[in-house]
Amino acid sequence: MQRKIFVLFIVIALLAAACGAPAAAPGGTGEGKITLRLWSHQNPSFIQANETVITKFMEANPDIEVKYEQFEYDQFIQALQTSMQAGTEADVIEMFGTWVCSYARGGRLAETPLDVMSYAEAQELFFEAPLNGYYCDGKLYGLPNEFNLEVGGALVNPALFEGKDVPYPPVWNTMDELREQASRLTEFDGDIMVRAGFHFIGGDGLPFLLLEGILEQGGSYFAEDGKHFTFDTPEAIATIQLMMDMVQKDKLVDPVLFNAESNPPYDGFFAGVVAASFIGSWAAGQGLVNYPDFKFDYVNTPVLFGTERKYAADSGWGKVVSVNSKHQEAAWKLARFMTAEQENAITFNGVTGTIPALKALVENPQPVLEKAPWIEPTFKLLPYGHYIGDLTDRDKLFYEIIYPAILQALQGSMTAEQAAQTIHAQANEMVDAAR
Amino acid sequence: MTQAVMARHAGEPRKERSGLRPGQRVFVWGALIPIFLYLGVFAVFPMVWVVVLSFFNYSPVRIGDGPLGLGGRNPFIGLDNFAAMFADTRAGQIFRISVKNTLIFAFLVLVVNLAITLPLAVLVESVHNRVKGLFRAIYFLPTVSSAVAVAIMWGYVYHPQQGLLNNFIKLIGLTPPKAWLTDPSAFVFGVPLAMIAVIIAYVWMDFGYNLVIFIAALQGIPHELRDAAHIDGATGWSEFFHITIPLLRPTLLLVCTLTMISSFQVFVIFQVMTGGGPQNQTRSLTMEIYENAFRYQAMGWAASMSLVLFAMVLIVTLVQFRILRTDWEY
Repeated sequence: MQRKIFVLFIVIALLAAACGAPAAAPGGTGEGKITLRLWSHQNPSFIQANETVITKFMEANPDIEVKYEQFEYDQFIQALQTSMQAGTEADVIEMFGTWVCSYARGGRLAETPLDVMSYAEAQELFFEAPLNGYYCDGKLYGLPNEFNLEVGGALVNPALFEGKDVPYPPVWNTMDELREQASRLTEFDGDIMVRAGFHFIGGDGLPFLLLEGILEQGGSYFAEDGKHFTFDTPEAIATIQLMMDMVQKDKLVDPVLFNAESNPPYDGFFAGVVAASFIGSWAAGQGLVNYPDFKFDYVNTPVLFGTERKYAADSGWGKVVSVNSKHQEAAWKLARFMTAEQENAITFNGVTGTIPALKALVENPQPVLEKAPWIEPTFKLLPYGHYIGDLTDRDKLFYEIIYPAILQALQGSMTAEQAAQTIHAQANEMVDAAR
Repeated sequence: MTQAVMARHAGEPRKERSGLRPGQRVFVWGALIPIFLYLGVFAVFPMVWVVVLSFFNYSPVRIGDGPLGLGGRNPFIGLDNFAAMFADTRAGQIFRISVKNTLIFAFLVLVVNLAITLPLAVLVESVHNRVKGLFRAIYFLPTVSSAVAVAIMWGYVYHPQQGLLNNFIKLIGLTPPKAWLTDPSAFVFGVPLAMIAVIIAYVWMDFGYNLVIFIAALQGIPHELRDAAHIDGATGWSEFFHITIPLLRPTLLLVCTLTMISSFQVFVIFQVMTGGGPQNQTRSLTMEIYENAFRYQAMGWAASMSLVLFAMVLIVTLVQFRILRTDWEY
C-alpha cells in the first residue's frame, strides 16, 4: 500500500511539474513591486538604447521592475505567435509598425488608452508615416519610435572611391549623374563582377524603389478601393525598366552575385565589395556598432523621376502593449516613456541611428545629430514621405512578390512588363486570399 | 513434497494474469504513465492538432471565438486548403514547385548516397583492422557536425570569388560557374546547379550514417558464402553483385527508408545555403511550411502542407518496403 501511495505521489509530482506555472510567474509581484516584461528583436544598437531608457524608467519608477528580453529576428516572430496563443507574451513589445494592424485586428493588442494619448495628440507629436502604422480601423494601438525611411540615402565607402575619378563624398543631383559615376566604381575580374558600384538589390530596396518611382511619376499603387493594387501601370513598368537599365546597361551591380541572399546591401557593403549601398540610415547606426573601425559615410541619393521627391514610408519600430498584460497602466506608462518623452526618444534614435518619429526631434535636430550625425541627410526628405498604406501583408508583398519578380527581371528572366503584371496579379491574389 | 510446494506458493505474493506481481504492476504503470503523458502531449496532440488546423483558415495572430482559438476570425474552411494546392495561384504554384524540388532532392540524395556509401563500405571493410576504425571515424565525423556549421562551411566553399572550389577549378585551367548557389540560369542535366550544390553538401554531411550501417551489415554476411563463391570461380565484381548486394537487401531497405525520410525533412541546409533561391529552385516543402507557419502566420495552410509531406513520406516508405522486402534470413 505504501508503495502504491509512493508511486501515485511521484506521478502527481511529475504532472504538477509538467503543467504548473513557472517559478517566477510573468508579471508577478514581489513585495508590491510590479514586474513588467519587454520584448524586442536582437540588434546591438537597439538593445543598447532600450537598456539605457529602461534603466532610467526604473529609477523614475522604483515600484516597477522591467525585465528586458531579446530574440533573434526570426525567433522573435515565432515567440510572439506561440506566446500570444498561450497568453505568456511580454507586457510591452517592440513591434514593427507595419505588423501592428494584423495583430491588433486579431485581438492581440491593447488599444492605447485616451489618458495615455489620443490619436489627435499623437498626430501633433509624431510624423504621419510612422504613426499611421499604429492606427488601425480608427483606433490607436501603440506609439512609434522610428520613422522607417528606406529610400533617399546610401552608404558609401571612401576606400573604394580612391583612384576612380569620382568625387568623395559624392553629391548626386540626378540619377544620370549617379549612374555615370557609380559605373566607374564597379570592378570586374574577367567576366565576374568583384565589386559593385551601386548595390540596390535588397528585399526592402527593390520594393521601396518601385513605390517611389510610381509616386514620383504621379501614379498610385492602390486601386480605388484602397485595398487592391495597381502594379501593372506604365509608371510601375517604367520604374522596373529604370532598374533593369542600371543593371544591364550601366553594370552598376550584378544581380546574380549581389542580391538579398548573396552579398546583400548591408553585408556586401561592410564586406568591402560594394562601393555604395542603397539602404536606410539605420544601417549606418548598426554599422558603427558592428564595424567600429570601418570608414564610411551616409549620403543622399537623387529622386528617380522628375524633380520632386515623393516616396512611401512604412512605419518603423515602436512599442505596443499586449491585451493579456495584467499591468496595463504600468505597461502604457513604460511604452509612452520610451516613445513620446523627447529625451528618451533622443537616446533611442541617437544610439540606433534611426530617424525620429517625433516631429520635435527633427524641428530641433541638434541633440539627435550630435549622437548620429549621419542621419542628417534624411531629415530634409521627411516632409515628402507618405504613409505606405494598408498593404494587407507587408512582408509577403515585399519579400515574396515584389522582390522576386523584379529580381527575375534584373536577371533577364522577365521583361519589365511581365514583372509588373506578375506583381499586380500576385499582390491582388494576396488581398483576395486575406478576405 | 506437494504440501511443501503448496506451502512455498502460499508464502509468495499473488501473480496476476499479466504475470506480474501487484507490486511490479504498480511499478510498471508508475514508470509508463509519465512517458504516455509525455508522448500524448508532445507527439499525439500536435499530430491531431495539425490535422484539425488543416481544415481551418487559422492564424495565431487572430483570437478565434471557439475552443483553442478556432472559429470566428479563424474560420472552418473544409477542404479549401487542399483545393488551393491545385489552384493556379501563386501559393499553389509555389507549393507544387516545392513538392517537385523535395522529390528531386530526396531521390538524387538517395542515389548519390548509395553510389558512394556502398562501394566505400566494401573498401573500408577490406582494409586492415587496425586502420578500419580510423576510416570509419573520419567518414562519420561530418555526421556529428552541426547542420548550420556544415551549411556555412559549404557556403564558403561555393563562394563565387573567394570560394575554395572556384579557385581550384581555375587552378586546373577550367572555367568555374559564375555562381554555384545564386545563378538561376545554371543547370546540369536539367537539374538546377544550386540544387546539385546543396545535394553535394548534404550527402557529404550525411553519408557517414549509411556507411556505418553498411559496414555492420557486411560484417554480418557469413564468410562461408563468399568462400563458396570463390571456390566456384567468382571474381570480386561478381561476388559484389551476386553475393554481397542480394544479401544486403534488408539493410538496403533500412538505408533507403531512413535516407528518404531524412531527405524529405531537410530544412536547415536549404535555409542557410540558398534560402530557397535562386528563383525558388531550391525551395523545399519544409521551407515552404516553415515560411507560411512562422513568417506569414498562415498556420492552417502550413498544416495542410505538412499533411501532404506526411503522405509523401508514407507512400515512398511503403513502396520501398514493397520493392525491397525479403522473406529469408542468414
